[in-house]
Amino acid sequence: MIKVENISKRFQLGTIGSGSLRRDLHGWWERSVLKKKSDFDDAQNGSQFNGKREFWALKDINFEVNEGEALGIIGRNGAGKTTMLKILSRIIKPTKGRIIGRGKVSSLLEIGTGFHPELTGRENIFISGHLLGMTRSEILKKLDEIISFSGIESFLDTPVKRYSSGMYVRLAFSVAAHLEPDILLIDEVLAVGDAEFQKKCLVKMNDTTSNTGRTIIFVSHNLQAVTNLCPRCLWFDEGVIRLEGDSRSVVAKYLSRLQEKVWKQDYNTWEIAPGNEYIRMVSVELIPHLDDPEAPIDIRTPLTIRFRFRNCQPKVNLSVDLLLFTISGECIFDIQSKAVVLNNEIVEGECTIPGNFLNDGSYYFSLYFVKDTSSELYAYNECLMFEVADFRENNNWYDKWWGFVRPNFPLTMKRNSDILLNLKQTELF
Amino acid sequence: MKGYAQDWIIDSRSNFLINIRELFAYKDLLFRLVRKEFLSSYQQTLLGPLWVLFQPILTVLTYVLIFKGVIGLTTEGVPSFPYYLTGITLWNLFSELFLNTASTFSNHIDIFNKVYFPRLIVPLSMVILNLIRFTIQLGLVVVIVVYYHFTANLPVDFFRSLLSLPAVVVVTGIALGSGLIFAVVTTKYKDLNGLLQFIIRLMVFVCPIFYSLSMVPGKLKWLVNLNPLSAQFELFRSSILGTSGIDHGQFLYGFIFMLITLAAGILIFNKMGDKLIDVA
Repeated sequence: MIKVENISKRFQLGTIGSGSLRRDLHGWWERSVLKKKSDFDDAQNGSQFNGKREFWALKDINFEVNEGEALGIIGRNGAGKTTMLKILSRIIKPTKGRIIGRGKVSSLLEIGTGFHPELTGRENIFISGHLLGMTRSEILKKLDEIISFSGIESFLDTPVKRYSSGMYVRLAFSVAAHLEPDILLIDEVLAVGDAEFQKKCLVKMNDTTSNTGRTIIFVSHNLQAVTNLCPRCLWFDEGVIRLEGDSRSVVAKYLSRLQEKVWKQDYNTWEIAPGNEYIRMVSVELIPHLDDPEAPIDIRTPLTIRFRFRNCQPKVNLSVDLLLFTISGECIFDIQSKAVVLNNEIVEGECTIPGNFLNDGSYYFSLYFVKDTSSELYAYNECLMFEVADFRENNNWYDKWWGFVRPNFPLTMKRNSDILLNLKQTELF
Repeated sequence: MKGYAQDWIIDSRSNFLINIRELFAYKDLLFRLVRKEFLSSYQQTLLGPLWVLFQPILTVLTYVLIFKGVIGLTTEGVPSFPYYLTGITLWNLFSELFLNTASTFSNHIDIFNKVYFPRLIVPLSMVILNLIRFTIQLGLVVVIVVYYHFTANLPVDFFRSLLSLPAVVVVTGIALGSGLIFAVVTTKYKDLNGLLQFIIRLMVFVCPIFYSLSMVPGKLKWLVNLNPLSAQFELFRSSILGTSGIDHGQFLYGFIFMLITLAAGILIFNKMGDKLIDVA
């Protein structure tokens, strides 16, 4: 049982974070002794990070989780989800409010925390287990189970620096999967590891919620996993709870609301426009071809990306690469335009991805500007993020659909009689 | 709160004091961290843990060469090898523990950012680790002293040697306490890391490691006496080697200094520890 009451968290940017004693002393001298206005900090750090700047990561959060309940938390990056989990797991202190609860808490904010690369797998099971709050006798009792779940028995006495990344993740997660807290807090840790192992872990966690009455708070970008694992869900947005309720309806509203926000970015003034001395961005826009403008982008939706930029140097033989990445950073494709000779001018580019091509999930675009098809002038990373919602008809499979892409290439099956017919025609029979 | 059987509360207040019960619950982690540090520091090394012994021996040989051979400092009638070795053994304990503790946050911020456990566990594991190393090096001191007892008639007195324990306690306490203070301060102000290195280099000369307080001219004595560690080094050496001079007042000064730094260190570390995670 957890009861969160009026939790707020303020981060101070500038004052504490300035990190230099000289600067702090100087600032104090100017403000307190000479009674000057604190323009020092502004000049030092840029007005964005002056001494008074603070940032409320969480504003007056209230919610309750019952014993044995699995609660999902969704939201964009920077919405305060991880901050909430860090406060719940006592890593950071709230600025205001309090949380009362009952039961032993374990948090999984990262896979393999405290692993030492030079030490053996066995040694690291203990380090990781103790860090997650297990005692020596608990670990010894489950050691065999942990080892067999990870499936790396033969490498147990090898230093983990010689492990493949897959083995590393398996070992790390196996320790975590054998925690027996009353309350388990999980951040985006399932994003790592191969799909098969992810599923094994989801099943293992699902087990624990329904059997032993364990409370779970699950933060994830994998909306399918949230809806599968958690009946109830919170949507965090800019430090407040935007919506709370049944996971399916919260996720659906989150998707449609999330998308319209980031579909277009205009950079009206030179100062805020990303770029450098070669390239300045003017706008980036994602245009989904939807019949109903209220509907979310789903896997059937064709998407057009339109971008404008200013080429700032004369006579550049310029081509543009449009790259699409999944939220975990894997590149789906890299499309290169033909090279064009440009002077100082504004240029528009456009590309359309057909419907029934992308799988559901979160994606972002990056734009690379290349001179003479070989030297990079400017990389505009993560310029647009968007989510593709799932859409399934006549299908009883509820897990995440496999694959980076989900094209609709025809896959046909023929009856035995038809095949025989065909074969007869080739006169083999 | 009524109606809830709750057993923990998280709020904005930070604890000044040590929660002994919580520390005890993490004792397995404490010893595992000691083991981890010890094992990992000797992975892929040629001589492994033997370095614990080689390091002081090599340092002593350098000291003998420079301070005795080149500069010609006397060593109160005691052979120079055990004389320098006792000082260096205690100095290693102080400097290693102080630097390890002072880098608690910078070395462990990745872990602190991802899991909760009482942060004091990390400096405590450093205390245990360094005391283990110190004990091994002390074994070397014993071997050397016994050797010189038989070859050069160095007087040995077991009960007098026990007087070295208070000196070890005070040195450990001051290293831990001041290390905790510096752990907080250097995390907030990264530029103070330079000061840290400076302090350690300065202290080698301000502590009577390769000289004795009796050799310091009267005009400069106050400077060495200001150092709370001076009396501890003198006490440590005199109890083991029978050299002269234990100033009880100076020892008491060091002891009180230890109590104050230790209390201040723990208070500051506990109070600021939670906040530092935000900025580190």
